[in-house]
Amino acid sequence: MEYFSIFVKGIFVENMIFAYFLGMCSYLAVSKTVKTAVGLGFAVIFVLGITVPINYLLEEFVLKEGALTWIDPSYSTIDLSFLSFIMFIAVIASIVQLVEMIVEKFAPALYGALGIFLPLIAVNCSILGGALFMQERQYPTIGEATVFGLGSGVGWWLAIVAIAAIREKIRYSHVPAPLKGLGITFIITGLMGMAFMSFMGIEI
Amino acid sequence: MSTEVKEIKKTSEPLFSKKNRKLLSDPLNDSNPITVQVLGICSALAITVQVQQAVIMSLSVLFVMIGGNVIVSLLRNRIPDRIRIIVQLVIIAALVIIVNEVLKAFLPDISEKLSVFVGLIITNCIIMGRLEAFALGNKPGPSFLDAIGNAMGYAWILVAVAVVREIIGSGAISLPGMGQVKFIPSSWFIAEGGLYENNNLFILPPMALVVVGIIIWIQRSRNTKLIEEN
Amino acid sequence: MAINKNSNGYTFLFSIIMVVVVGSALAYTSQSLKPLQKANEADKKMVDILGAIKVPATRANAKEEFSKYVVERISVKYDGSEVNTASGDITAGDKTDPFNIDVKKEYRAIISKIIKSTKKDPEGRKQRLGDAEVTYPLYVCEKNDTTFYVAPVVGTGLWGPIWGYVALLEDGKTFYGTTFDHKTETPGLGAEIKESFFTVKFEGKTLNTSSETVFEVKKGGAVVDEHSVDGITGGTITSKGVGEMLNRTLPVYVKYLSNTSNQKAQK
Repeated sequence: MEYFSIFVKGIFVENMIFAYFLGMCSYLAVSKTVKTAVGLGFAVIFVLGITVPINYLLEEFVLKEGALTWIDPSYSTIDLSFLSFIMFIAVIASIVQLVEMIVEKFAPALYGALGIFLPLIAVNCSILGGALFMQERQYPTIGEATVFGLGSGVGWWLAIVAIAAIREKIRYSHVPAPLKGLGITFIITGLMGMAFMSFMGIEI
Repeated sequence: MSTEVKEIKKTSEPLFSKKNRKLLSDPLNDSNPITVQVLGICSALAITVQVQQAVIMSLSVLFVMIGGNVIVSLLRNRIPDRIRIIVQLVIIAALVIIVNEVLKAFLPDISEKLSVFVGLIITNCIIMGRLEAFALGNKPGPSFLDAIGNAMGYAWILVAVAVVREIIGSGAISLPGMGQVKFIPSSWFIAEGGLYENNNLFILPPMALVVVGIIIWIQRSRNTKLIEEN
Repeated sequence: MAINKNSNGYTFLFSIIMVVVVGSALAYTSQSLKPLQKANEADKKMVDILGAIKVPATRANAKEEFSKYVVERISVKYDGSEVNTASGDITAGDKTDPFNIDVKKEYRAIISKIIKSTKKDPEGRKQRLGDAEVTYPLYVCEKNDTTFYVAPVVGTGLWGPIWGYVALLEDGKTFYGTTFDHKTETPGLGAEIKESFFTVKFEGKTLNTSSETVFEVKKGGAVVDEHSVDGITGGTITSKGVGEMLNRTLPVYVKYLSNTSNQKAQK
């Protein structure tokens, strides 16, 4: 039940785009057609699902104050949390690289679908955001952290696919010229965010 | 800082040549990082509830941006191509950590409010984008100006959004060092028998997007060459 | 340049130098700023504690005011027995000083785990909470010759952690004042728990010492009695979180305070 709650919360309540604006750059740049949006969305789910648990282990066993006690009890006062930003981003960048290579080798079809998006993802704020929220919220087990990563990824996927669908349709509408493209996308995202806020009170 | 200044002087071209001045002014309007290049929105919007936070965030970005641009530009002939993205990320991350630690030590209240968003400067696409597109191929002098220009372009949007949101949402303006100045007299409020009420909607996240959308609208109706085809 | 920028050797050398330089620079910054950061945290804590007994303090004068009003710091075990006491100056890093107990950290690291794993087993929860090596700090304050007990509370709201301090009168069950704070509750809704219109509702209410639930935060606008207040309309989950956190730690202090008042009565 705990897992389900974290998962649903990650998709609807704490949606990376609508509640925190994370990953907006690629969200706006790659949402012109549904097809590419779906591809990028899956890549985000994939990478979040892998990097959040890895960063969780890093946080639990290396970075946190007293995390190094598994090597020697006398290390209980060492606090490496100031290194967390740099470690997280290094993990993300190298995992993305690694995943790209593995996918290319063993799943060429998947690579064809996700390949061009993977390099973009290293600098997608939602991935680092996922790691930082994981650190801040201190999930008790790696299972919960993974589910949180996947849930946030699905939420991000949902957001980008939804906006891409709207943008495909809006091309045929009479939008004031200066608002065309970017402007109207911002405003629609704002309206969608308001709609998503109604999920806020749910308790699962 | 002193070495950076020396480097700038060494460049043969005068620092404020016409070309270099454009580096400063362009990002403010024609190639604004937020409204035109669509970069760096992630960390921008969540912290525009108060002007104070927006200003501090902008200063942090300015610092990271200048540091990153100048360092990468100085090292541009030494960075191995294959690991250049990682090197850039490490430089940015290190600068961001410094900013975060300094904020925690000297401005604890603001640091608490900015929380994870300081960390997210790392993935702020403006910074990576400028390092890739400009600093890697240019001398430190112009890179320095490019950094200031882009950070300023980012800052004015951020502060503009924050001003709108804070005035309508909280009926106040907060500036660093002054605290929050409420300028709507309390007798105007409905609770006190008046007719005014703060619009809480503006404090909530979605309105930040709408405000940016409106800023884009205004900017593009004045600067028609920025209008998109569809 | 003579060196091949793309050779493996150069790439490795470059990365090693980079890691060493960046690592040492960051370690230095972090180490040199750490005392300042710790002092900031301590100041904030003092301001919050003083806020509960309605002494307005700022970061600048927190230490001074704190030593003026807070006469004793006590740490208490789950069963209500006393562990340590301290008074006078606070030494940072002294683990026996109750002031240095990081309630938030203990809550997240130990207590919340126990609560999650014993959802359907209230007896087992009590057992495990009693066995856990957690101590609860309590601050004895004196203002205008009246004694107050200030107890920290921590819990979870809708988005993230919420916490606060509760000042009880000498009888150990009547609220004198409260301060609440939050990390990321919804502005205008849940975030209102830190506003005075909410905290003032607690004043004069009493803890129900004879019941398992010592205090209730009901739905916004609900009918309340002396052991409950109504929450914030639209901030239901945050208000509920406030209720939960009060019930989580206050019973420990209630036990302790009734023990000590019994002892006093016997003397």
